[in-house]
Amino acid sequence: MTQAANRVVITGLGVVSSMGLGVDEFRAGLRAGRDTARPITAFSTVGFDHANGCEITGFEPAAWITELVPAELGRASQFAVAAARMAIDDAALSVPRLRDARSLVTIGTTDGESRDLDGLVEVEVGQGPAAMDPVAARRVPAGRLAAAIAREFALTDTEAVTIPTACSAGNYAIGYGYDAVRSGEVDFALVGGADALCRKTFTGFYRLGTIAPQRCQPFDVDRKGILTGEGAGVLLLESEQSAKARGARIYAEVLGYGLSCDADHPVAPNQAGVARCMRLALENAGVKPDEVDFISAHGTGTKANDVTEAGAIRQVFGDTPPRTVSIKSMIGHSMGAASALASIGCALAITDGFIPPTINHNQTDPEINLDCVPNHAVEAELNVVQNNGLAFGGNNAVTVYGRYREAS
Amino acid sequence: MPTITEERTVQIKDIVCDILELEPEEVTPTSLFKEDHDADSLRAIEILASLEKAFNITIDQSELPRMVNLEGVYTVVAESANWN
Repeated sequence: MTQAANRVVITGLGVVSSMGLGVDEFRAGLRAGRDTARPITAFSTVGFDHANGCEITGFEPAAWITELVPAELGRASQFAVAAARMAIDDAALSVPRLRDARSLVTIGTTDGESRDLDGLVEVEVGQGPAAMDPVAARRVPAGRLAAAIAREFALTDTEAVTIPTACSAGNYAIGYGYDAVRSGEVDFALVGGADALCRKTFTGFYRLGTIAPQRCQPFDVDRKGILTGEGAGVLLLESEQSAKARGARIYAEVLGYGLSCDADHPVAPNQAGVARCMRLALENAGVKPDEVDFISAHGTGTKANDVTEAGAIRQVFGDTPPRTVSIKSMIGHSMGAASALASIGCALAITDGFIPPTINHNQTDPEINLDCVPNHAVEAELNVVQNNGLAFGGNNAVTVYGRYREAS
Repeated sequence: MPTITEERTVQIKDIVCDILELEPEEVTPTSLFKEDHDADSLRAIEILASLEKAFNITIDQSELPRMVNLEGVYTVVAESANWN
C-alpha cells in the first residue's frame, strides 16, 4: 500500500430506537435518562408471568423507504434502510454522490428476520404449510438487511454484507467499515446493526431466566436481567480528507477496534476473553487505558454479564477504572443493533459533552463497584470513549472513539 | 413430604436420560448430572422446561441448584406439582 492510512471520521448518524426516530430524539432521551420499557405488543405474551420490552411504536417505513416496497422487507430490514437514509441525510451527502463513490454497507444482526419466521411458523402450525405467505418467506434471509440498503439507494460499486455475530455485531460492522475507509478501499461506509423484537429471542432469554420482570438495572445489586429491545443504528464513515473536502460536520473519530473469540462456552461470558478484547481495541486505537474518559459497557443487566464485564474492566484499567455506563438501562437490549446504537450514543456524548446515565439504579453491586453514572447524565468534556459489545459464543468486539481534532 | 409414584419416577428418569443422552442404566438416583454426566446449565434448563411441559406444572428457576441429580429432581417436581 503506497498511501498513508486515512483517519476515519463519523459524519452521519441514523437512529431507529425505542427512544425515538432520528438523532435528536435519541440524544434528548439519553440526556434525560428516559426509560422506554413497556408491555410487549409485538407478539402474544399469554403464559408469561412478565413481558416488558423496549419496543418501537409508530414506525412508518414509507417515510424512509421510498424506492423499495416496504411490505417486501422484514421489520429489521425496514429499520436498517430507514436508519441508513437518516445517516445519509444527516451527513448532508447526496445519494447520487454516494452512488458514484466506492462504498461498503455492513449491518450486524442477531436474529435477522426471525420476526417473520415467528409468524410463518405460527401459520404453519395453525393452518398448515399451504397457508404460509410467500412474501413473508422471501423476506427471511438475513443477507437482505445489508442488501436492502444497497437496493434502496441503487449502490452498485459496493460490498453489502450482513454480519451475524449477534449482540456485538454492530461493533463488528463498524470495525469492518473502519478498516475499509482507513485503507482507502472505499470512500464511504454505511455501518451499524439492526434487529426486530421477536418471540423466539424473548422466549429463549425468558427460559434462561434472564428477562427482568419490569425494568433493566445494569450494575445494580438487585439487577434481574435484560429487557429485549429493537431498532437500528447506522453510522456513515468516511476519511477525514473526504469530510473536510465536502465541508461535512464531524461528530467524532473512529480511533480503532478489537475483536476476540473465546472459542469457549456458548452463553457464559469469559472474563479473560473480554479483557483481551478491550486490550486489543485500545492497542489498535493507540490509546492508553488511563486516557479513556468513559466506557459504554455491554451492561446487559444480567447477573453474569455485569459482574464478568466489571471484572474484565478492572483487569485492564486497574483499581480506578473510568466511569462505566449502560444505555441498555434505557433502551433495553436491541441485540444486533445494540453496539451500533451505543456507538452513536458515544459519538453524541463526545460532540455534546455529556455522559449518558445508567438508569433504574438504586445500589451498585459491591462486587461490581463501578461509577455507573446513576440515574442522571453528567456534563463532561470527553476525548476518548470506549464501547463494549460482547456476544454469546464469546464473539467480542470493542470500538474506541475520540474527539476529532485536526493534526497540528 | 410429597410422594411420587413409580410410574412418575420412570417418566422423569426417561426425560432426564433423553436430554442428557444417556442410557437409563447409566444414571443412579444420586449420580450428579454435571460432575458425573457432563451436563451444563443449558441442559439443566432443558430438563426443567421438559418437566414443566410433561406434568403441566411450573418449576421456579431458583430450584435449579437442587436439581443436580434424579433424587433432587423427583423432590422438586413432587413439590412443584403438590403430589402428596
